[in-house]
Amino acid sequence: MGDLLREPLTWGHALIFAAAAILLMGIVLGFVTYAIYFERKVIGWMQLRVGPNRVGPFGLLQTVADVLKLLLKEDTIPRKADRVLFVLAPVLAFVPAFAVLAVIPYTQSLYFADLNVGVLYYVALSGISTLAIVLGGWASNNKYALLGGMRSAAQMISYEVPLVISIVGTVMLSGSMNLRTIVEAQSGGWFWNWHFLPQFIGFGVFMIAAVSELNRTPFDLPEAESELVAGYHVEYSGFRFAFFMLTEYVYVYAIAALTTVLFLGGWHAPAPFLAVVPGLIWFILKFACIVFFLFWLRATFPRVRVDQLMGFGWKVLLPLAIVNVFVTAGYIELFIKH
Amino acid sequence: MIRTEELLLNVGPQHPSTHGVFRIIVKLDGEVITDATPVMGYLHRGTEKLAENLNYTQIIPYTDRMDYVSAMTNNYVLCHAVETMMGLQIPERAEFLRLIVMELQRVASHLVWWGTYLLDIGAMSPFLYAFRDREIIINLFNELCGARLTYNYMRVGGVKWDAPDGWIDKVSEFIPYMESKLEEYDRLVSGNEIFLARIKGIGVYDAETAVSYGLSGANLRCTGLNWDLRKTEPYSLYDRFAFDVPVGRTGDCYDRYRIRLEEIRQSLRILRQAVEQFPEGGETMGKVPRVIRPPEGEVYVRIESPRGEIGCHIVSKGKAEPYRLKFRRPSFVNLQILPKLLIGETMTNLITILGGIDIVVGEVDC
Amino acid sequence: MKGLFKGLAVTLKSMTAKKVTISYPDEPLIMPDRFRGIQHFIPDKCIVCNQCVRVCPTDCITLTGKPNPDPEKKGKVIDTYDINFEICILCDLCTEVCPTEAIVMTGNFELSAYSRDDLFKDKEWLTANDRLVRKDNNNIGAPVKGGGK
Repeated sequence: MGDLLREPLTWGHALIFAAAAILLMGIVLGFVTYAIYFERKVIGWMQLRVGPNRVGPFGLLQTVADVLKLLLKEDTIPRKADRVLFVLAPVLAFVPAFAVLAVIPYTQSLYFADLNVGVLYYVALSGISTLAIVLGGWASNNKYALLGGMRSAAQMISYEVPLVISIVGTVMLSGSMNLRTIVEAQSGGWFWNWHFLPQFIGFGVFMIAAVSELNRTPFDLPEAESELVAGYHVEYSGFRFAFFMLTEYVYVYAIAALTTVLFLGGWHAPAPFLAVVPGLIWFILKFACIVFFLFWLRATFPRVRVDQLMGFGWKVLLPLAIVNVFVTAGYIELFIKH
Repeated sequence: MIRTEELLLNVGPQHPSTHGVFRIIVKLDGEVITDATPVMGYLHRGTEKLAENLNYTQIIPYTDRMDYVSAMTNNYVLCHAVETMMGLQIPERAEFLRLIVMELQRVASHLVWWGTYLLDIGAMSPFLYAFRDREIIINLFNELCGARLTYNYMRVGGVKWDAPDGWIDKVSEFIPYMESKLEEYDRLVSGNEIFLARIKGIGVYDAETAVSYGLSGANLRCTGLNWDLRKTEPYSLYDRFAFDVPVGRTGDCYDRYRIRLEEIRQSLRILRQAVEQFPEGGETMGKVPRVIRPPEGEVYVRIESPRGEIGCHIVSKGKAEPYRLKFRRPSFVNLQILPKLLIGETMTNLITILGGIDIVVGEVDC
Repeated sequence: MKGLFKGLAVTLKSMTAKKVTISYPDEPLIMPDRFRGIQHFIPDKCIVCNQCVRVCPTDCITLTGKPNPDPEKKGKVIDTYDINFEICILCDLCTEVCPTEAIVMTGNFELSAYSRDDLFKDKEWLTANDRLVRKDNNNIGAPVKGGGK
């Protein structure tokens, strides 16, 4: 795929790209379907319930049924809503969520775009979704949606900054912004070669900021159910609502994959003797662990208050991330640079 | 020129965190509340007016529906008022049964509060944990009186049912179980830094304000005032049991949270003693005339419900129906302080404060 | 931080704990004997004393009697007996006052219906509702044998 991208674009190539994109879309949709199922099951187990078990064997078709229900639902647009923006917002939310997946490398050879500024591409595109949420909140012409949208704008901008800066340490250690090169820099056979140990501050800040970027508990303020009813998507129903949910779970996919790549050694096995297991399996395992962690958090934690969230982002995470950059720089200067 | 204006936001009557059909109209400046007007009455059923045409036994099922999270204490306050008027003697076994169900009810009620409060703050699991344990109490009540929520258990002069075989043993098994679960609750929530940051220092008022607003229950004790009617004006058999009244210091939501959890422990302590001293055999119904006609006059009795001081004022003209019946509902009285607490707070704290007051809309609107 | 991890440990442990939910509609829920479910009515026992109608706090019971068809016996027999379950609160007072236990509680509680009309239950329906009838009725409010006033 990487070589094809460098060649001049022909109709044949375009067709291949489209097919690959559709394939990825299929994989992502499959992931989202079963991530939702898995989430409901995990949270159910943690809450002494069994979770969905009625539709299909073990409830495996529950999400399918839910999506079908959303598809069949009446598409309502509030009379006082700004129609164009209201329709545009879910699309605008979803497109960058899907586009960022292009740069994620799954194994040595399985990847879509080998971009030399992969990290930057990811961060830049994911910022656009914020815009969609604000638009959705504004266009709904609902006070709760507006509050949710505004909260989300404030939150995402605040947490984008420490998120990016926490990655800088990793980028410095690997000397590249290319996600494949970053994974290669973590090779060495053992799990202590992965970046999460030398970059433990960066890893911590990244995880917290990532959960916040995902708008998930304990940072799910934009859609804080108990305060804002549903936040920015309170007026959305049917398939437009499904698109917002889809965006959210695609970002879960993206963030889990990004964390695996940046900090958990991508497709590398944790020990040399385990290297017989294919890299893709390791990638999926690490990926699943992070996804599980996100669900686990959701089952346990209460929600952070909005002012505390801002304070935490700017006063704790940002300084920590910057300290991490300096510490990494000092470390590289003293020990690695010859 | 940037124009800013206040946002008038209608919170409720259909809102996930107003615990029923309660409505607050808030004026927001950004996310800061500048004005708040509670609107109540969406669940008003006219219990007090209805009672004027019902005889005293018929009113008991209506009291179940006032504070439906704590129906046993409502039953008790009405029966206690009528018994006080008529000077009835209650058999000891009946009084013990009443006390046991009231304390179980207090535990159940605080569990509901704990679960829903955490749900308001955004944690889902505690709700399910609390309901798992409340379910045991509800099942105990179901075995005792055949209903899970609206018990209609007490009667003027005693209780409707004696405890079935093995019921008291089940209660005594429940006590150590609940104590271990309380530890689990503490591990799950009470030390959670996010939770503590949310509730510490929120909704603070001092003892003087609390008294002037007529607050009672945990809302009063969080300011440091030691006022629990079970201790200060013992009714039923509470003077026979050793228990402590937890009080707070700062008068914030955290103190209210801590007090309610501690009250569960104290209720379990009372239950343990009550189960030990539970009399063998005996009547469950005192000597009551066929038709209950309290003598002409008035009476006001008050007891400590899980939410505070619940009072019952009966004006009798010597008939089988009350001339006028008035309930002092703690949720309603405690709610009065809400607008005062809300001004200057954010939307998020609105939920924290409202949840901390612990209202049941059925009781607010009566 | 410690509190956060303690909480995480609790939820992780609960994952494998015994589940408390029951598969209710699949497995019928058996209520204890004292459960106050939909009433069962036994017309032969009814003496048309009207006690249940008078004690009902929500006035949901209506009954009519007719003269005993057997000319040798005195009194009345029940003609119609209706309970309106739109307003019945299953408070147990009607069974409590019934001197002959003609109306008793059962353990059945599934009352939901698509139409309000379905909630109006007549004598035949109540008589046919004879499953899980309560054994112990503890009629503390009923007049002692020999009749009240």
